Amino acid sequence: MGIITTKDLNLYYGDKQAINSINMDIEKNRITALIGPSGCGKTTFLKTLNRMNDTIPNCKITGEVIFDGINIYDNKIDPMLVRKKMGMVFQKPNPFPMSIYDNIAYAPKYHGKKKRELDEIVEKSLKAAALWEEVKDRLKKSALSLSGGQQQRLCIARTIALNPEVILMDEATSALDPISTYKIEDLMGELKKTYTVVIVTHNMQQASRIADRTAFFLLGDLVEYDTTENIFVNPRNQKTLDYVSGHFG
Amino acid sequence: MANTTYEKRIRPGVIAVRALIYTVTAAVVALVVAIIAFLIVKGLPYINWEFLSKAPSRLDETYGIAPMIINTLYIVLLSLIVSIPLGIGTALYLAEYSKPGKVISAIRFAIEILAGIPSIVYGLFGLAFFINALKAGSSGGSMIAGALTCTLIVLPTMIRTTEEALLQVNPSYREAAFSLGASKLHIIRTVLLPCALPGIVVAIILSIGRIVSESAALLYTAGVDYTMPANLVKHVAEPGAGLTVQLYLYATEGGSPDWVPYAMAAVLMILVFIINLSANIIAGLFKKKVSIN
Repeated sequence: MGIITTKDLNLYYGDKQAINSINMDIEKNRITALIGPSGCGKTTFLKTLNRMNDTIPNCKITGEVIFDGINIYDNKIDPMLVRKKMGMVFQKPNPFPMSIYDNIAYAPKYHGKKKRELDEIVEKSLKAAALWEEVKDRLKKSALSLSGGQQQRLCIARTIALNPEVILMDEATSALDPISTYKIEDLMGELKKTYTVVIVTHNMQQASRIADRTAFFLLGDLVEYDTTENIFVNPRNQKTLDYVSGHFG
Repeated sequence: MANTTYEKRIRPGVIAVRALIYTVTAAVVALVVAIIAFLIVKGLPYINWEFLSKAPSRLDETYGIAPMIINTLYIVLLSLIVSIPLGIGTALYLAEYSKPGKVISAIRFAIEILAGIPSIVYGLFGLAFFINALKAGSSGGSMIAGALTCTLIVLPTMIRTTEEALLQVNPSYREAAFSLGASKLHIIRTVLLPCALPGIVVAIILSIGRIVSESAALLYTAGVDYTMPANLVKHVAEPGAGLTVQLYLYATEGGSPDWVPYAMAAVLMILVFIINLSANIIAGLFKKKVSIN
């Protein structure tokens, strides 16, 4: 059994069902890629994992997401504590309009870390996100002065500073240039040694390059979930084959 | 050279419309310049340190405006102390906590109505409620009654401007903070309010401008005393005329030389000018701090 297991997970926006009875097992210290055409439910599914969909009005979820042996949709669970264990990186880099330092220190400070611990956390997090060398002399500068690729690595560092177990990435490279994308893909390979990484991507090459396991979503269904190699070279389902060979998308 | 497809052409309609737009703009600018010039010519020569620093005296026939400046600032300050927390609190509720529905529509409708009420009506209400019913200060009006009435007048602007500023904060900041496990209150404190600050500052400055220029409502609620307050703490319960009210009295009741109201008008104008200028400067400073350096 993996670190996250979903059981019969359904999500509705009002009357419209967006994901249909997903049963999926996400393995620890692996990169799992969620692929599929726009509107297939992959991002929605990703956001159910850390309860980010809670903030959307009229959104109803049934089923279970078992994380660390606990159903995070249980009534007793505080979603804020779940999010603390599952960091998230978004499609567009969204650093706060604060200094680089304050961005990284935001979560640890809130979650009760002492002031003297913060310097170390900031340095470690920026190093882990391969950004330290580029920003170490301007930690007090606005995070918005960084390039798009640097901003996204800053957001990854901000997530690392949470000290999560899982990092969820929602098309984290789709707004970036190829070089920045390469750096972040490289980084993901490093991150999976410490964290479990789940990515949503539009880019099939990206999934085939970096993911250990790949899940193919279509119209809210999980069509096929297997090792990345099997999905791309040897899919069992005709729809998966059509998608990965570019017949629709 | 038969092909004229891409040649420049004279379009009389375009020229006419452009001329009209320029003329209208020039007329508006000319109007503003005329008002300012009129007040400067009529009022500015009489403004000196004595005029600004002394109280008027019927015996000596001097016309200082120091008590009115104090009263105006007094009411501005007191109103802000009450209206800023009320305004920001309501705006936070509307922008961050409320769920769309009948209650919210009713609240918004009430705020809109509040904004449209003529200020003389507020004055009447202030007289009946704050002075007669609550006995806030002397029966001839008081600083506190005037300030509370002004609070009612500026609240709609304060709420709406602040709410707009909150709604304009990039939603991705909210999302990012939520994904880091922060509570709503923490997000408001660390992300939303700082980002909305320029808008809130503008709301405050607009409110100050509104209070400084208020006269009708204050005539009923803050009274018409022109003496220098002896004790600023006790003054909260005492009546006192601000610049606009005293200007109105001088201009309508007579008994003073012609230049006095003009000199006061010039002072008021300069005050409003300074307020607007500082609003722009402060908003600019915040923008700089937040944007790409």
